[in-house]
Amino acid sequence: MSAASGASPSLRRSLLLWLLWPLLLIAPAAAGLQYVLALKPALRAFDHSLGATVISIGNFVRTSPQGLQFEMSAQTERSIRTNQTDAVFYVVTGPQRELLAGDPPLAEPPISLAAQEWHFYDARVFEQAVRVAALGVVCGDAVCQVRVAQTTGAREALRNDMLAGTALSLLLLTAALVVAALVATSRGLLPMHRLSRQLGSRSLADLRPLAASEVPREAITVVGAVNRLFERVDAGSAAQQAFLADAAHQLRTPLATLQTEAELAVMQPHPPELSATLHRISAAATRAARLGSQLLSLARSDAIARSATPTEAVDLKHLTSLAANEWVPRALAAQIDLGFELQSAAVNGNAFLLQEMLDNLLHNALTYAGAGAQVTVRTNSTRGVTRLEVEDNGPGIAPEDRERVLQRFQRGAQNLGRGSGLGLAIVSDVVKAHGARLLLKEGADGKGLLVRVTFESAARRQNTA
Amino acid sequence: MRLLLVEDDPALANSTMRALQSHGWTVDWSTRGEPVPQSVTQDHYDLVVLDIGLAGIDGFETLRRMRAKGSNTPVLMLTARDAVEDRVRGLEGGADDYMIKPFAVAELVARARVLTRRAQARTDDALTLGNLRMDLSARRVFVGEQALELSAREWSVLEYLLGRVGKVVAKEQILQSITGWDDALSENAIEVYVSRLRAKLEPAGLRIRTVRGFGYLLESVEGGT
Repeated sequence: MSAASGASPSLRRSLLLWLLWPLLLIAPAAAGLQYVLALKPALRAFDHSLGATVISIGNFVRTSPQGLQFEMSAQTERSIRTNQTDAVFYVVTGPQRELLAGDPPLAEPPISLAAQEWHFYDARVFEQAVRVAALGVVCGDAVCQVRVAQTTGAREALRNDMLAGTALSLLLLTAALVVAALVATSRGLLPMHRLSRQLGSRSLADLRPLAASEVPREAITVVGAVNRLFERVDAGSAAQQAFLADAAHQLRTPLATLQTEAELAVMQPHPPELSATLHRISAAATRAARLGSQLLSLARSDAIARSATPTEAVDLKHLTSLAANEWVPRALAAQIDLGFELQSAAVNGNAFLLQEMLDNLLHNALTYAGAGAQVTVRTNSTRGVTRLEVEDNGPGIAPEDRERVLQRFQRGAQNLGRGSGLGLAIVSDVVKAHGARLLLKEGADGKGLLVRVTFESAARRQNTA
Repeated sequence: MRLLLVEDDPALANSTMRALQSHGWTVDWSTRGEPVPQSVTQDHYDLVVLDIGLAGIDGFETLRRMRAKGSNTPVLMLTARDAVEDRVRGLEGGADDYMIKPFAVAELVARARVLTRRAQARTDDALTLGNLRMDLSARRVFVGEQALELSAREWSVLEYLLGRVGKVVAKEQILQSITGWDDALSENAIEVYVSRLRAKLEPAGLRIRTVRGFGYLLESVEGGT
């Protein structure tokens, strides 16, 4: 599943995408809102304390018979102007905007205010940004104005603190959600991974249905479909085997007729000029007959390897002993010394396939080793490793050809025009179907060919793996 | 020498018949298995060549009915099926040999010859091959008119081999067949008996071939079995 993620849509990725992109939109919006909503009252509190200073300064404006008076002790003025972080300015103006006390630049711009009317605004005084609170104060029949300004240091500090706080909480929230989303998708997809691992580790032949209890409800339809596919493949494989058995029967009989007729034609009296032709027909018929049988074997071994045909305990020694009666007379006819070194050699496998493998190995040895050669079949088993060997001291196969002759329809360079090129391919297929290993090397004394098939018991394979 | 061929494919039956006839055998042909048990008990046949895939009862069933009727006629089974269990089933069902189609005429003829020889070699109280005659009731062996002196063990080995002329016999099998409960014979001992027999049988035109690492094959030299 992960191997294909480059091309095909990933469930995990699309889940993450749909979880995370709303988060990327919503989280900043929420943070912005939080920032604005928290900042407003805080700034209002600042205005409020500024207003308190205005009121206390306003208390120093007095109406007396001599006119308007503003009397504030130097100590009071110092205490008003003293602030931890910010500079504080004030101004008091009379009804005609005449300066009564304080910092003249703050009197600009003129603002008309009724009595007890507040006005808060931002301005610049002495080239500094300030927040100004202005109040209309009753002085006699008229209205005076008190303005107090404070530089914005504390406000900026508050703004910055709140911004940092909001940003931090936004980051923490986002990080927590991303981690949660990653964990959730991984955990949520775990059963899918288990399912794909389970499927991936199956052998081709294992067509047992998947257990629905092990998968999440959402995957049950997939599992059901896979199980139905398994059933169809299994049925198809059974049908194929039945077809091949029929085809074998139907094809073998006319092939037998062809071969027999061709051989009879050679044996019967015939004009000498036909002799070469008849021999060629006979040889071709023999080859066609063998090729037909081998193709059927190949197709059948394919079908068996793909189907869930159960394995059985097969003793290669016993299998070889059965074959001996058939192959010794053939070896004698081919003037080949066929010998055996048989020890008990039990493997788990399919007897039909193993028989085909042995028949093809013996056929090859007898065909290619040449008259006068020695062919030896060995079976043995030590410590969970079981071997079948067929060795001859014939011409052998050149090292550079050994890989190639295992392919279907490939023959060694020495043997063009003889044989079908299927024998070793069948052997190779059977070896693969049994999880065994196939080795082609030169025989003893560097002469001839040694074919070795090595089976390892399941227990041993696990130990060494 | 008379053979019965049971084969439902006319073309193959025709060419197989001609192949066997060309070696001097008389061949009768049946397309079905049903009449075969009756035929082999009524008439004398030296061999039945029996196809497994027949219309009606198949070769296995035909063989079973033949043996049930008490026929000992050797049977060579032919099959177009390639499953190994067919071979085992055929041989366990009492077939004497087994060939998969398509086959080489020479091999069919050779195997048919071995089977008929083997059958002919056995009468009720004697085994014969070439000019060797083993009188089972008198427990005496003759090459022509000349009596042959054999030890008890040599006798057992020869009897076992003569019953399986032309067949590869494993040393283990000989050992099992001739040793009783309390005997402890080694395969080396079998080799000794065989080499003695070999010398004694040479004048009779019989040859015991050694199948390296496996066992022996008894054949008559001039007959080429």
